[in-house]
Amino acid sequence: MAFVFRWTGMTTFLATETRVQFHEWLAIGTGSLVQAALLVFVWVLDPSLLSLTVIGAMVYSVFLIGQRVLNEAAYIRIDHKLNELYHASPMSPESYFLGMSIGILVAYTPPLVVLFAILEFLHPMSLAATGMLVLALLCVWAFSSSLGYYISTLFKDMKTIWPYSSLLTNLFGIVPPVFFPLSVLTARFPLAWVPALLVPTSSATALVEAVAGMQALTPVQFLLAAGSLAFLAASMLLFGIYWARRTARES
Amino acid sequence: MTEEALRAVDVRKTYHTRGAPAVDALRGVSLALRKGERVSLLGRNGAGKTTFLRIASTLLVPTSGTVEVFGLDAVGHPEQVRPLVAVVPQEGKPFFHLTPREQVYAYLRARGVDRETAKARVEEALEQMGIQEVADRLSITLSGGQKQRAMVATVIATEAPLLFLDEPTIGMDPFARRGVWESLRRLTAKGCTILLTTHYLDEAEALSERLYVVEGGRVLVEGTADAIKQQVGGTLKVSIPNGSGLEEELSSFGKIVTDGGTVYVITGPERINEIMGLAMRDRLAATVGPVTLEEAFLQIVGRSIDQDEG
Repeated sequence: MAFVFRWTGMTTFLATETRVQFHEWLAIGTGSLVQAALLVFVWVLDPSLLSLTVIGAMVYSVFLIGQRVLNEAAYIRIDHKLNELYHASPMSPESYFLGMSIGILVAYTPPLVVLFAILEFLHPMSLAATGMLVLALLCVWAFSSSLGYYISTLFKDMKTIWPYSSLLTNLFGIVPPVFFPLSVLTARFPLAWVPALLVPTSSATALVEAVAGMQALTPVQFLLAAGSLAFLAASMLLFGIYWARRTARES
Repeated sequence: MTEEALRAVDVRKTYHTRGAPAVDALRGVSLALRKGERVSLLGRNGAGKTTFLRIASTLLVPTSGTVEVFGLDAVGHPEQVRPLVAVVPQEGKPFFHLTPREQVYAYLRARGVDRETAKARVEEALEQMGIQEVADRLSITLSGGQKQRAMVATVIATEAPLLFLDEPTIGMDPFARRGVWESLRRLTAKGCTILLTTHYLDEAEALSERLYVVEGGRVLVEGTADAIKQQVGGTLKVSIPNGSGLEEELSSFGKIVTDGGTVYVITGPERINEIMGLAMRDRLAATVGPVTLEEAFLQIVGRSIDQDEG
């Protein structure tokens, strides 16, 4: 019975969090500036890579949602103590964690829609490619949100948290092949595809690009990317739920 | 359900922090609240009040001891207890980007209260807290006292059977504080039970049917405000100027406390005439007044600190 999910209060908390996030419309807008800047650079330097970069921008944007979960969960715990209000209530800890994570995802969907429209303009997506895109983005969201929520519970001061947020963003969004094709990496380091496809952001990017016909993956590479992405997303999400339950009560 | 809302037995909590010595925040706290009671925990900063409140409200695991809420095990099965409790956290703040009306409503809905009931309770709670006029302003624009009232409104609107309020009136003006007191009295009249902490001893006395004085993680005394005042030797105090040379003679009438230029004799009403007679004999100005809860608190806690240091 230890892992029976309880969803009491999740939709209400999701709506609350979405509403709170929409008040920070400027953050939603400025949260896309890095991606937009990179698109401009690529458009100037090598327009043929633009559609690949748009997919990377979408994956990066979804990964950033996890970092917003990190900041929001830490902020309402450390500054507002609202976690205590909600944890000492019938609302389950998993509803608190998932309500917050989905609420932030909903609030940050508009920039994704804009990026998708640009992608459709540059490279019309098949139904299969669109399905893969949605699935891959959901996996990245599950991984990133769970990781963000976990890290948010480790510190007692907001200032301590900020460097970790920045580190994770660069580690998962900039270093691996998210904004650039995997082939650029393997041309110099032939075996680099193995670690690259074990990272959820770059495996998500590679899968979407492969299904959309922008980049070729061997069957082994495809299986590795899909397997690692699915495994990391599912295991991190389950861990996030477990951790939310565990930290609903301090020990 | 049992007639007891809360029963805690020998609750202990030791905090272990890497690189620092372990801290015994609670060293065997036992207490009980009957249904419908309003009880205050009093104590200095760091006495263990908040730690106890967080354990009893399922937010913190004790190192040992048992806590039952309406007969349910709050330590072993917190999920069973949580629907029965609500908490105003110490220094809690509402969502800055929600209005008080939205905040209270959203919280009630998250607790599973149906729409119509939630709407009615929101209006009632906002009215009781006196924040209807600012109910549609974003909380970020409210004063500190108004934000605190929004937090209290959020919790009292739940009408949960057991409420834990950690310094609920901090930052409020005297009118707002009295509004909170009145709301809490109404809630207990409806059958809710309330355990609160406060540093305002007038508030504790006006509001609580019983008090627990906590110091160093232990309960020092428990009882009504009058019973606690009795613990320091009497309910009245006679003030006489210091240096009168009567200290030794006065000590036979009660406990002597010297504070600056004044000597206080803490005693019962039956000895007042004798003390006043003595003062008149020596032509000394003497005044009689009640021992306040604050004075009793200072005496009791001060005595405990002296014993610990001794």
